[in-house]
Amino acid sequence: MKRSVLRFAKTTEMTLLVICVVFFVFLVIASNGDLLAANSLRVLLQFLAVPVLIGLAQMVVLAVGQLNLAVGAVGGFAAVAMGVLMADHGVPVPLALLIGFLLASLAGLVNGLLVVLTRINGFIVTLATMTVLLGVQYRLVGTRTVDAYPQGLKSFGSYAVFGVLPLIFLVALVVAGLLAVMLRRTVPGRQLLASGGNPIAARLSGISNDRSVIVAHTLSGAILGVAAILTVASSPGVNKSIGGDWLLPSFAAPIIGGALLTGGSAVVLGTVLAAFIVRFVDTARAEFSLEPSWVNFVVGTVVLGSVVLGQVRTRRQERRSVVKAPDAAVAGGVS
Amino acid sequence: MTLFEAEKIDKLFPGVRALDGVTLKLEAGSVHALLGENGAGKSTLIKVITGLYKPDGGRLLLDGQEVHFGSPHESASAGIGVVHQERNLIPGFTVGENILLQKLPTSRGLVDRATIRSEAARWLAELDLDIDPDRPVTDLSVAQAQLVEIAKALSIESRVLLLDEPTASITPNEAERLFRVVEKLKNDGRSVLFVSHKLEEVFQICDTVTVLRDGSSVLESGALADLTRDQVVDLMVGRVHEALALPPRTVPDAAPLLELSGVSTATGHVDVDLTVRPGEIVGLYGLVGAGRSELAKALLGLDRITAGEVRVRGEVVRIRNVRDALHNYKIGYVTENRKEEGVFLEQSVSRNIAVTVWDRLRKALGYVPAKAESELVAEYVEQLGIRIASPAQLAGTLSGGNQQKVSLAKWLAAKTEILIIDEPTVGIDVRTKDAFHTLIWDLAANGLAILLITSDLPEMITLADRVVVMRDHRVRGEVENDHEYEAMSQQVIRLIHAEGTAVA
Repeated sequence: MKRSVLRFAKTTEMTLLVICVVFFVFLVIASNGDLLAANSLRVLLQFLAVPVLIGLAQMVVLAVGQLNLAVGAVGGFAAVAMGVLMADHGVPVPLALLIGFLLASLAGLVNGLLVVLTRINGFIVTLATMTVLLGVQYRLVGTRTVDAYPQGLKSFGSYAVFGVLPLIFLVALVVAGLLAVMLRRTVPGRQLLASGGNPIAARLSGISNDRSVIVAHTLSGAILGVAAILTVASSPGVNKSIGGDWLLPSFAAPIIGGALLTGGSAVVLGTVLAAFIVRFVDTARAEFSLEPSWVNFVVGTVVLGSVVLGQVRTRRQERRSVVKAPDAAVAGGVS
Repeated sequence: MTLFEAEKIDKLFPGVRALDGVTLKLEAGSVHALLGENGAGKSTLIKVITGLYKPDGGRLLLDGQEVHFGSPHESASAGIGVVHQERNLIPGFTVGENILLQKLPTSRGLVDRATIRSEAARWLAELDLDIDPDRPVTDLSVAQAQLVEIAKALSIESRVLLLDEPTASITPNEAERLFRVVEKLKNDGRSVLFVSHKLEEVFQICDTVTVLRDGSSVLESGALADLTRDQVVDLMVGRVHEALALPPRTVPDAAPLLELSGVSTATGHVDVDLTVRPGEIVGLYGLVGAGRSELAKALLGLDRITAGEVRVRGEVVRIRNVRDALHNYKIGYVTENRKEEGVFLEQSVSRNIAVTVWDRLRKALGYVPAKAESELVAEYVEQLGIRIASPAQLAGTLSGGNQQKVSLAKWLAAKTEILIIDEPTVGIDVRTKDAFHTLIWDLAANGLAILLITSDLPEMITLADRVVVMRDHRVRGEVENDHEYEAMSQQVIRLIHAEGTAVA
């Protein structure tokens, strides 16, 4: 037990946690404590739900050694589909949400199947499906903003437990928890990580790498389905631009969180913490009334910095070890 | 009792008969050695047995029943455990998870960690290993990782265990420990196949031996007790090569162009001495993993040289990279990975050859006239006999032999004086091979200093003036080549398999 605590202390997650806490304390002080007001906290967390999910949607695909350029398109398409179903066709809310969720999962499944069946690089496959889905999204909604859906859903989107903890944030955390359990404790999850960590060894151990790829993409789609539901619930309306700004944050969170682009790392906590940090940067920007461009600058720098840090860790680890270590964080974080 | 038998196995690859009626019998409670030179077919046979390759002829018998393995999963289910040459552990997973990866235990849908721990502990105990199943595999030493892989191979309740060069990367002490484990497995009634290049180990732990040569089994299940080391070497080397008739060539008595003294590298070489004179072909021979290509890479500045001196034309130098080697020292490197490192498959033959001399051909603003390129190229196409329709033909459309010539031509175009040629004829048919040998011979006759790295013994003995034998990243000896195949090959093989690990 003690050893695992020590190990955690050296992980990327721990570093991120410390950064999060320090950053938060700094923001509290800088705002003269205003940030601790229930309303400020609620807003802070409200806008974290979707970034957490899109980061996880990318992370799970990175874990198998792939990437998903279609995160925004899948989410945007599903969100718009739900909105249109409810507003234009009077489909009941639960059914519309279920359909949207299934559509997003299906889009992920199709991504996975295309990668496996055509053997075309995932970059190209998801670039193509992204473009197709953007077209579908536009076709569905045109230039309108659809907002005529039941108030109940909007209340769900803005409800906060004790006035502080937004429901949608809790939903995102539950998804993160389920994903962590899935990757750590279920056979398909372990197989997914094995395929990502060492595809040859996985294959020689009787694991189907193809199945792992399909599972990862489908999971990614399903998570994006949830993100789409939360978006519909918490936005004033949905239009063609929903999802348009998801792609880069989807990479930023897992990469800052310690994920390896080569696969094999499951950094659920890291991704969540990284989403927090990105959110804090945005909060700081608002607090100090800086130009929005600063956010991009800072996030970009943090991404670059964390990748460099990850490489230094990996090299140090490799010097000590024979089994190629993906990252200290992974060695500690997963076990 | 025969547990497993591979009977009259054929395996064909395009243009090559990799296995030709090979038979291998594994008895219960016995350790069987599989021996053979590089390329004799050992790995291919293992891949057939484990279901990675489908045999083109023959059959596999387990307990006398014919079996078909469509994948490694199926052979594992049948009780055939394998420890592959490459490390095959999943980084980021624990020791326990790695051992039981092939069938992770679950309870109520979740991976059952308690069972993983106890099951893995049981297999580790079986091997008398004191490793915590909860440790991440990234913490293990090479030898520990090796033993964990054996535990993994056993965990499928295997009765047949294939160990592919298990001692290639561990120390003699660690190897001793491995042998104790093998002994135990044997006493438990399991059947172990031991693939190794180290004859002393084979004689130490194996009962019977099958020797492969050029894809055929030249000795099937011979009792090692009845064989001497020399007999085994003879069987491995075998056939008298029909020598290619090459014109006589004498090495001029000149000062060395390239000289290494006491060179140690970050990749593990210790105290390497080597000289190459102009007009001389020095062969660097050794088994796969002996560190020959790595030495070349260190020489070219791609890996760090930690001690010793490299002299080019008598001057101590520190070569920083291939560009430096080419422009400042006139050293060229013909890579062994032709398709990945040697040629630009999507580019024309003329671009491929001119790539080293663009600096010389370029006009203002870096413009390289196509005409200058094709003129230059024509010269080498002619000299090397490269068969192309036009200089604009894409290199990817050429045969392997012609691609190799293109890969060589660019260094000639750059007027290099020292040429390091790494495995020049791998995957090239016999006729082209002879043409290539003549070519290398002629280059040396024209005064080039050539360091030839090859695992192909006949090639080495045909071409080299001197053979330097490497093993475990050290030079084990040097032999003047008299081009007498029989005697030379025995001498070289004996140097490689020399008793003990020599200088430890």
